[in-house]
Amino acid sequence: MNSFLSLIPRFAEAILVTLEVSLLAAFIGALGGFALNALRLRFPRWLAGPYRVYVWLVRGTPYLSQLVIVYFGLPVIGITMTAVQATIVSLAFYSAAYFAEIFRAGWASIPRGHMEAARAFGISRWSAFRSIEMPQAIAFAIPLLANQTILVIKESAVASIITVPELTMTASDIVASTYTYIAPYAMLIVCYWLLTQCIAVAARWAQALITPSRKTS
Amino acid sequence: MSSLPILELRAVGKSYGANRVLKGIDLAVTRGEIVSLIGPSGSGKTTALRCMNFLEAYDEGEVWIKGQLLGYRSAGRSERDRDSEKSVAEVRRPVSMVFQQFNLWPHMTVLGNVAAPLVLSKKTTKADAHKQALAALTRVGLAGKADAYPTSLSGGQQQRVGIARALAIEPEVMLLDEPTSALDPELVEEVLSVIRSLAQDGMTMVMVTHEMSFAAKISDHVVFMEAGQIVEAGPPEQIFGNTRTPRLQQFLKPWFDRSLTSVAGVA
Repeated sequence: MNSFLSLIPRFAEAILVTLEVSLLAAFIGALGGFALNALRLRFPRWLAGPYRVYVWLVRGTPYLSQLVIVYFGLPVIGITMTAVQATIVSLAFYSAAYFAEIFRAGWASIPRGHMEAARAFGISRWSAFRSIEMPQAIAFAIPLLANQTILVIKESAVASIITVPELTMTASDIVASTYTYIAPYAMLIVCYWLLTQCIAVAARWAQALITPSRKTS
Repeated sequence: MSSLPILELRAVGKSYGANRVLKGIDLAVTRGEIVSLIGPSGSGKTTALRCMNFLEAYDEGEVWIKGQLLGYRSAGRSERDRDSEKSVAEVRRPVSMVFQQFNLWPHMTVLGNVAAPLVLSKKTTKADAHKQALAALTRVGLAGKADAYPTSLSGGQQQRVGIARALAIEPEVMLLDEPTSALDPELVEEVLSVIRSLAQDGMTMVMVTHEMSFAAKISDHVVFMEAGQIVEAGPPEQIFGNTRTPRLQQFLKPWFDRSLTSVAGVA
């Protein structure tokens, strides 16, 4: 038990790295996905092709390969990043495809009649996007967004390969230097579990906040 | 009194690919008039109605609202330039609509739904919009539900909210697309009575309906459509009492039989 507790300081540092990398990546990825979906809605014709190719490429290849291309491949064309930067960039690029699909589903969940009513009442496309589509689409998407964020947190473990001092890297280090497996991996599990639980709780809270109370007055 | 039509359709046609669903519809609606469109399913009534506010882009003929061409930059039959969304919105501004499926926005309260067109499209202050919305809700007897959400209401109440929303923008013409078709039979009457009271106040309305008795009583002009064409049109006395075309007679027969039975039942 003592050996387990003595791991806390190192894991506390590592959990902050994982948190920083994955939340930044998920945030940028979600913004990117939102923008992609908004563009797809606005310019359906010429954007449909590139959009599909992007989603197809990102979803069809392992994240590890994308990380490797960003970290080891981009320097070839003169773009050099630190390991943390490369992780954030690649993870954002990777998750944006999934986030875009989530927003697409959110928009697809809105009945056609809602937008027809908006048009019939002279509400501009932009106002309708903001005030009629977005609140409904986001409410629909919250559980999926939370789910994707959790996946991003867990996927960030791959960054241990390029020596980002995040949770998985820390656990591997301790294993390598102490030859004990149980305590560091138990701690690793607890840390990831804590992070993902925080996301789940935040999502539940956000859902409650934006879902109107169904008064039956 | 000027009898210039407030809404006019001239040879309006519409095709989906090779399927021509509207084949030259002519209709003039003057202020205060109530026009009912009747006919079998698939006859093009709803499409015709949706062309009147350009929810459906017609591709032949012209729709004029208060002397302005709707949807296109110029009249005529050949290739035409579509008007910008903004100008279409400007021309259709005097026209409001009530939908068969209500199409209320579920994330807004009842008051929010009725006020939204005012808040989002016009330069009204929120306070004024809410005042106007509340007045419209009072008009349909639902001021008490202002803070409720649409999903907590019955179908009839939801449609009355839909009517209030259409009223709040102070329209000069209301388009009603089968306003009672999605309702349980016992909820139809509350909606019809609201429409009746609007009629008494002189609201101009164009209504697609399957409620024959209602159309017979309330309308100034009835249009019977089939296969994208107007087969017979005239005052309700002619359409329901002195039918000229055999096809309309055949269409109305079930309704005649039913009303005769009910009259016989009372007597």
